[in-house]
Amino acid sequence: MQKKFRMGRVALAAALAMTFTAGNAVADIKMGALYPFSGALAQLGDESYRGLELAVEERNAKGGVLGEKIALVKADAVDANQAVGEARRLTSVENVKVVFGTFSSALSYAGSQVTELAGVPFFELGAISDSITDRGYKYVFRSNSTAKNFAYGMVDTITDVVAPELGVDPKTLNVAIIHEDGLYGKTVAQFQQERAKELGLKVVETLPYSAKAVDLSALILRLRGAKVDVVLQTSYQNDTILYFRQAKSAGFKPKAVIGAGGGYSLADTAKALGKDIDGAFNIDFPQFLTNEKGAPGLGAFVEAYKKRYGMEPRSGHSLVNYVGANAFLDIIEEAGSTDADKIRAGVLQYKRPVGSTATGWGFDFAENGQNQAVTTTLMQWQDGKLVTVWPEAAAVAKPIVNK
Amino acid sequence: MDILIQLIVNGLLLGGAYAIISIGLTLIFGVVRVVNFAHGELLMVAMYGTYLLSNHLGWHPYVSVVPIAIVLFGLGALMQRAIIQPLLEADGHIQIFATVGVSTALMNLALLVFGADVLGTQVELGTSTWLVGPVAIGSGQFYTLLVSILVVLGMHWFLTHTYTGRAFRAVAQNRDAAALMGVNVPFIYILCFALGAAFVGVAGAMLTPQYPVFPTIGTYFVLTAFVIVVLGGMGSLVGAFFGSMLIGLVDSLAGYYIAPDLKEVVYFAIFILILAFRPTGLFGLGRGSE
Repeated sequence: MQKKFRMGRVALAAALAMTFTAGNAVADIKMGALYPFSGALAQLGDESYRGLELAVEERNAKGGVLGEKIALVKADAVDANQAVGEARRLTSVENVKVVFGTFSSALSYAGSQVTELAGVPFFELGAISDSITDRGYKYVFRSNSTAKNFAYGMVDTITDVVAPELGVDPKTLNVAIIHEDGLYGKTVAQFQQERAKELGLKVVETLPYSAKAVDLSALILRLRGAKVDVVLQTSYQNDTILYFRQAKSAGFKPKAVIGAGGGYSLADTAKALGKDIDGAFNIDFPQFLTNEKGAPGLGAFVEAYKKRYGMEPRSGHSLVNYVGANAFLDIIEEAGSTDADKIRAGVLQYKRPVGSTATGWGFDFAENGQNQAVTTTLMQWQDGKLVTVWPEAAAVAKPIVNK
Repeated sequence: MDILIQLIVNGLLLGGAYAIISIGLTLIFGVVRVVNFAHGELLMVAMYGTYLLSNHLGWHPYVSVVPIAIVLFGLGALMQRAIIQPLLEADGHIQIFATVGVSTALMNLALLVFGADVLGTQVELGTSTWLVGPVAIGSGQFYTLLVSILVVLGMHWFLTHTYTGRAFRAVAQNRDAAALMGVNVPFIYILCFALGAAFVGVAGAMLTPQYPVFPTIGTYFVLTAFVIVVLGGMGSLVGAFFGSMLIGLVDSLAGYYIAPDLKEVVYFAIFILILAFRPTGLFGLGRGSE
């Protein structure tokens, strides 16, 4: 009788001990993923998320981070309101340790307000509006280039590439800035005007329009009337397609059209436009037809993407999210904890040289959480492919301008 | 002067696109008295259908007009019979909730089935531009305008010269009196909704060469279509057509002479002014009627 009881107690203790250890092995680190998975931005949101997903899966295959596997909690944010709601769910209900996101500046701006209040680190991997890191927040960090980099890159293209190819003084060219009238378009346009003024370029028209427009013919007539030579456009997908179709219809062919990501970087836009997109320049996150000498690991990423999703990457957003996510996961590992202040210290210390990652970026974070060691490259659509044409070190083709 | 002519031409052509969409909407408004918030999504369904026929069977969108119109006719009849009919005795806002529900369901169904990808159809006929003197005319837009005129004329003949057409007008004027006169009101409702949906089907097929399709494309057109329908007078076909031309012209002229991002301000301002003086719209039956 005594023996049986003792065996019972030992067995009970053993069972309890086993459940404890079993429990620990299943306790993953939860990380939030706040992206637009539905709605108008769904395609680019999904593409961006794939970069994060690949980075996390690779990391988990090597044992995870801080000795534990990462569990990504997806949160769908179609607009700023939903971003706030979903950020609250991630931080209060799911209790994630950090939040990754978001591709869209409006979503990022809103969601990060919630995470800052909750003291949860927010890692922005793709949205470009400078205001996201200009609010004096302590726990918002961004790995990618900003609207200012894009805008300056677009204007510099006129002086560094277009004018030399045409053999003229850049100050003689008529420049027009057209943009969608949301946060993305307005921010980029503002910086473009700043930079154009700095360089002494002639901006003859600045025309905002609604991204939901079904007709841009009046805008194009104005550009034609003002004898515009170079068009700088900041647009999403539908308005990019509309612009090119209606410009062709109106017979408006400026010497160069330069876009800044958005609709200009998607393979789908090229498919919808066919030959009409050839010649369009694009200042953007690094894309795939880049010289790998400046972007180590690019080929490996593309292979991993193709194996996981059974298709070519649809745009460079996945690449950019992948590189950013890897850097932040490294930082968490080096910080040794998911405590927000330790992560902040880790971010400010993390340095990598330019040209050491698959995007060609380096890492060097400023006090406001923004990575300073980013680059933007100039690409051009040639024969239905987006090829890098500038700077020469990363170029795989020469730029073509309409003479 | 050249630019002004071009702007006017552009405006009228844009009006043609809005016209076919608005005709269906005004018919449903006028006869069934239902605010069909799913109208834009019916357009989206038509455009996806045209895209599929073009991609898998190689049919040009203009050839798909007839099959797509038939499919949308069926869809409209189904929607009326299954969703609106049971709610006809309820308050107006219940019917609105139902159509909004259909709208959201269709949008997300499209997202599920086709993804968020923007799908363009590449065709030769309907994407060229004709030069008439100094003025450029988009061929696709011209055909759309032509079809919209034909649809308005055809519908007008139907309403004035056939028994069923007269039944439509009777139901629009007073549904109970029409029922007392022997009109089968539920059947007329189904026919009317189906016809309205069929017109949107025609619109979808005609617009496919010009616009790519994605799940939310309905929302780009539907708000303006509502403005046009109310502006022209609910239930008035001529009103919808005239309203479309007006909005198209204002869109084009304001976009050029004022600014592309302020053109909506201009046409909404005109909308408010017209409603202040004629609350039932330009071609509505005047003050006092519904």
